[in-house]
Amino acid sequence: MKSLSTVPVPSAALSHQDESIRHLPEAAREAFARFQTGGDPAVLDPVLFSILDDYIPRASARPLAELPGNTRLIDDLGFDSLAITEVVFFAEDLFGINITNEEIVQVATLDDLRGFIRAKVTIPAAH
Amino acid sequence: MPPLPVITGLGFITSIGQDRPAVLRSLRELRHGFEPVEFLGNPALPVKVAGTLKGFSFPTTNWRDWRWPDRFTVDRELIRGLAPHGVYAVCALQQALAEAGLAPAQLTDGTTGLYCASAGSAFMLGNFLQQMHETRGERGNPMGIVSSIAGTLNFNLAAHYKIAGAVCGFVSACASSSHALGFAMDEIRLGRQQRMLVVGAEDLSAESIVSFSSLRALSHNPDPATASRPFDRRRDGFVGTGGAVALVVEDASLARQRGAHIYAELAGWGQAGDGYSVAISHPEGAGLREAMRRTLAVARVNATDVDYVNAHATSTPAGDRSEALALHAVFTSGGAKPRISSTKALTGHGLSLAGAMEAAFCALAIDDGFIPGAAHLEEPDPVCAGLDLPRTSLEEQPRLVLNNSSGFGGSNVCHLLRRPT
Repeated sequence: MKSLSTVPVPSAALSHQDESIRHLPEAAREAFARFQTGGDPAVLDPVLFSILDDYIPRASARPLAELPGNTRLIDDLGFDSLAITEVVFFAEDLFGINITNEEIVQVATLDDLRGFIRAKVTIPAAH
Repeated sequence: MPPLPVITGLGFITSIGQDRPAVLRSLRELRHGFEPVEFLGNPALPVKVAGTLKGFSFPTTNWRDWRWPDRFTVDRELIRGLAPHGVYAVCALQQALAEAGLAPAQLTDGTTGLYCASAGSAFMLGNFLQQMHETRGERGNPMGIVSSIAGTLNFNLAAHYKIAGAVCGFVSACASSSHALGFAMDEIRLGRQQRMLVVGAEDLSAESIVSFSSLRALSHNPDPATASRPFDRRRDGFVGTGGAVALVVEDASLARQRGAHIYAELAGWGQAGDGYSVAISHPEGAGLREAMRRTLAVARVNATDVDYVNAHATSTPAGDRSEALALHAVFTSGGAKPRISSTKALTGHGLSLAGAMEAAFCALAIDDGFIPGAAHLEEPDPVCAGLDLPRTSLEEQPRLVLNNSSGFGGSNVCHLLRRPT
């Protein structure tokens, strides 16, 4: 029998955050786990690059982690404002933060994004 | 020669096949596309059967969880704005364009338009709104609107294929894609466009199908072999389905110039309202009767010239009776006796998808020289006495074929298709 259940997600077994990142590569999920337990936002880079990879309009020739920090999201990587808005939504949802339109327009490069998220995330208490 | 719309490409993601050969085989051999299903993980629900889309899976609203058969390509950039029926539509349109011998670059110069029909995606919209309530409006998926509201098909397909001609979506419930095809014919006839892409599609989800349970419109028959039996005395409601069908409609002179294969000419269309009820068809099928008459008049065709009618009949007790009475009034009372069947016996009822899907079936019947039989019909309703409902598909070449559709509010739309001369 085919199930057309469309039971609401997330499943009860996963936290909201785990549900959000379950599609990301293992390295990104491990980095997020380290952030949750250690509280150091500097470990979040693999998470950020995975999110960007998910929404990048055309695949980058080189891994995002290997690109210079001044690589521009729109001019160099092909993001448009809609795709950037999707990245922002994902980040807001994952980190439980709010990002204003004014803040979005300040983010132009990979370094801008990295610095912005590091400054913005609430550091969880270390276990 | 005034412009004449003709069909040059067809694409199918349906419960009875996902390409033209498979659909043809199902129609000729009366193979249905139903499977037992369980909606909402609730075995107590009395709705047990649906026309399923094999190889497609949409277990959550997250596009990363979606699956489709390997032979279809859905770009990741595109899928983020789609509902499940948008995925079906992309797959169907790819087929139709390939059949018509058209590359995407040929669609962008403004001479090609796009008319679509779906009810939107209650599945996607429900999730988007749930998120809005959970965050008290502070956060939402940027693609939430364009992937869910009615119009999601034309938003996405027009942008992806860079359509610079006429773009519109049509909403008249189960007559929606019939309206899309009818108005697409007009765009060609009026010389506004040389080519129109017409796409009808619907999700297959609890949200899109089980909703009709509250209207008591769905069959409770658990047997896939008999649950959908239009015009049968024991019919008890419709069986839901989803999917997508795409048609390429062109001016005949352009099609001939390109050397494209012409499936059928679109000889005319017509519509009429019941002016009666929001959800029940007129008891004597008044609007459908008038829509058929107007269609025949526009095409300057006598009822006696029609060889086959693809009925709207969804297998509901009231709707099928209304249509039978309308068919009597237009045909039997004047001595005409076309072959009649409802292919929803095989596919299920595709709602907004139904009209385009069945117009495409009519084009296949004309092109391949056969008449689809009235599947699952064992005991015809006495109201059908005098109507010619063949129990098997017939090896007969139809020249003129009428396609009927009816939707909520009493919208009735008919198309007349003709064998190319």
